[in-house]
Amino acid sequence: MLFNKRTERYFVWVFFPLALLMPLFLEQNTFYVSKLTTVMIFAIFVMSLDYLVGRCGLITLGHAMFYGLGGYIFVIIAPEYEAVNFWVYTFYICVIAALVALIIGFLVLRTSGIYMIMITLAFAQMAFYYFSDSIDFGGNDGVFIYVKPDTSIFGISLFDLDNPIHFYYLCLLSLFNTLFFFRLVIRSRFGRVIDSIHENPGRTTALGYNVFVFRLMAYTMASALGAYAGYLFTLQYGFVNPSMLAWTTSGSALVMSILGGMGSIYGAILGTLVYEGLHYVLEHLTEHWLLFMGALIILMVILFKNGIAGYLEKLLEKRS
Amino acid sequence: MTTSLFFVQLINGLQYGLLLFLIASGLTLVFGVMGILNLAHGSMYMVGAYLAWYFVQQTGSFTLSAIISAVIALAIGIVVERLLIQRLYRRNHLDQVLLTIGMIFVFNALQSILWGDDPLGVQVPEAMSAAIPLTDVVEYPVYRIFVALVCVAIAAVMYFMINRTRLGMLIRAGESNREMVECLGIDISRLYTIVFAIGVMLATVAGVIAAPMSSIVPGMGEHVLIACFVVVVIGGMGSIKGAFIGALLVGLVDTFASVLMPQLSSMMIYILMAFILLIKPQGLFSS
Repeated sequence: MLFNKRTERYFVWVFFPLALLMPLFLEQNTFYVSKLTTVMIFAIFVMSLDYLVGRCGLITLGHAMFYGLGGYIFVIIAPEYEAVNFWVYTFYICVIAALVALIIGFLVLRTSGIYMIMITLAFAQMAFYYFSDSIDFGGNDGVFIYVKPDTSIFGISLFDLDNPIHFYYLCLLSLFNTLFFFRLVIRSRFGRVIDSIHENPGRTTALGYNVFVFRLMAYTMASALGAYAGYLFTLQYGFVNPSMLAWTTSGSALVMSILGGMGSIYGAILGTLVYEGLHYVLEHLTEHWLLFMGALIILMVILFKNGIAGYLEKLLEKRS
Repeated sequence: MTTSLFFVQLINGLQYGLLLFLIASGLTLVFGVMGILNLAHGSMYMVGAYLAWYFVQQTGSFTLSAIISAVIALAIGIVVERLLIQRLYRRNHLDQVLLTIGMIFVFNALQSILWGDDPLGVQVPEAMSAAIPLTDVVEYPVYRIFVALVCVAIAAVMYFMINRTRLGMLIRAGESNREMVECLGIDISRLYTIVFAIGVMLATVAGVIAAPMSSIVPGMGEHVLIACFVVVVIGGMGSIKGAFIGALLVGLVDTFASVLMPQLSSMMIYILMAFILLIKPQGLFSS
């Protein structure tokens, strides 16, 4: 069984059909469709972070670097006034981001624990200042994208990226695929080794696995996916700017992933939805939404130790 | 670069480094003794600057407002430690990161509610508003030298306290073995409260004395927090001596980089940090 927890199956059966039908109800209101699209894009990013932090035990505070890189790589390699193929560029971006992650991971994974938190932050800050100080990439304003890629395969166009509803479905598909992909990874031999490294690196080494190489592979994979999410975000809004790489982006992604339930993967979607939902509601109620957001986060850490997914699992799986 | 300019930059770098040390020492002390990574540490620097502004408005005296701010900081430190931080001792770093991010949000919101989002400024105290002429055209403000001296004095007091007093002995003991200290009949949770409050006070005092030198803006806490991370990581987490060396290094590199290579200036300290971590993954002075 791919989704081996009952709660996760419930979640998949409730969330995805609802998300599929959602645009029908919001037909007149593209604002909410766009908002939900952004949430789903960010959920992909949070999922990739969740795999790293929750499954591999590699705590990074610099994951936003790849989110931003996804956008910047596109701006660097794509011609300015010509529509490129979406799928081809997805491939390019993931490969280039993976290469960058391979190099950075090679350096970063030599450290662990608190030092890894800091050095990942340092690399992300380097990238942040590089792009925000550079004239070639528009400094703090970033770069605009004039022509969106087309999504045809063999001449058949699947999604029109200028249409918010089409874009919504593209992101929903990506979200589902990412969840599915991580389930496959977790179930695979590779995923078992990663889980065992998380449990006890020493014993895994004794079993003959090279812990460093496995961690590097996981880091590279999660970073490439993070870049994919950044690429989608860039296409949705038609620009890329340094705030995508800011440490606050990494920080809030970490909050969402912990809120959802660390390491559960589908919890990342829940965490992102709840966080962004609260953000939206509080922002409309009061100018000082940050106060309530902060208080909620503090309460959550003290009361919910395993996030929303953990809470739901306790609620639903007790009866079975 | 002329000699006098070099000299000015050197003092600037040292002075910035000393200020960073004042903030980073609190961060590293709390981490070294309690094992708590406090991301909200930078927020206390911000609170310090705003408190200085507020009390200078109310009382008109900079010295008085510095003292009041320090007392308020101690109170905040004690309340936060008793109420929140104490629940984190047996949790992992991730929960600490999350809870202290929540605290950053709360502090930022309170700042915006109490003092608004417009940039504020504090006048340099009358007695120190002069400048020392170095050459015919270059002069150096007295207040910056005063700040450097205050930082050196606080560093000396800390050195004395940690190495020569009973409290310092307990702090060092708590650093190396928590259980053993408890077995000897020391109330470790009270010790932790004191250490945390001292850490908060150091950051706040840094914010107070930095207030007349820079504009007081929202988000100043996060900026300084990241710089402190670099300092603490270069020096080795938990090492006060390391924080001192790291802070001076970061201060000098940052100052000279912004003169010599403006394009790379804001990246430079992170490059330095990555480089040092590659040679010594635990920092320069880790225990």
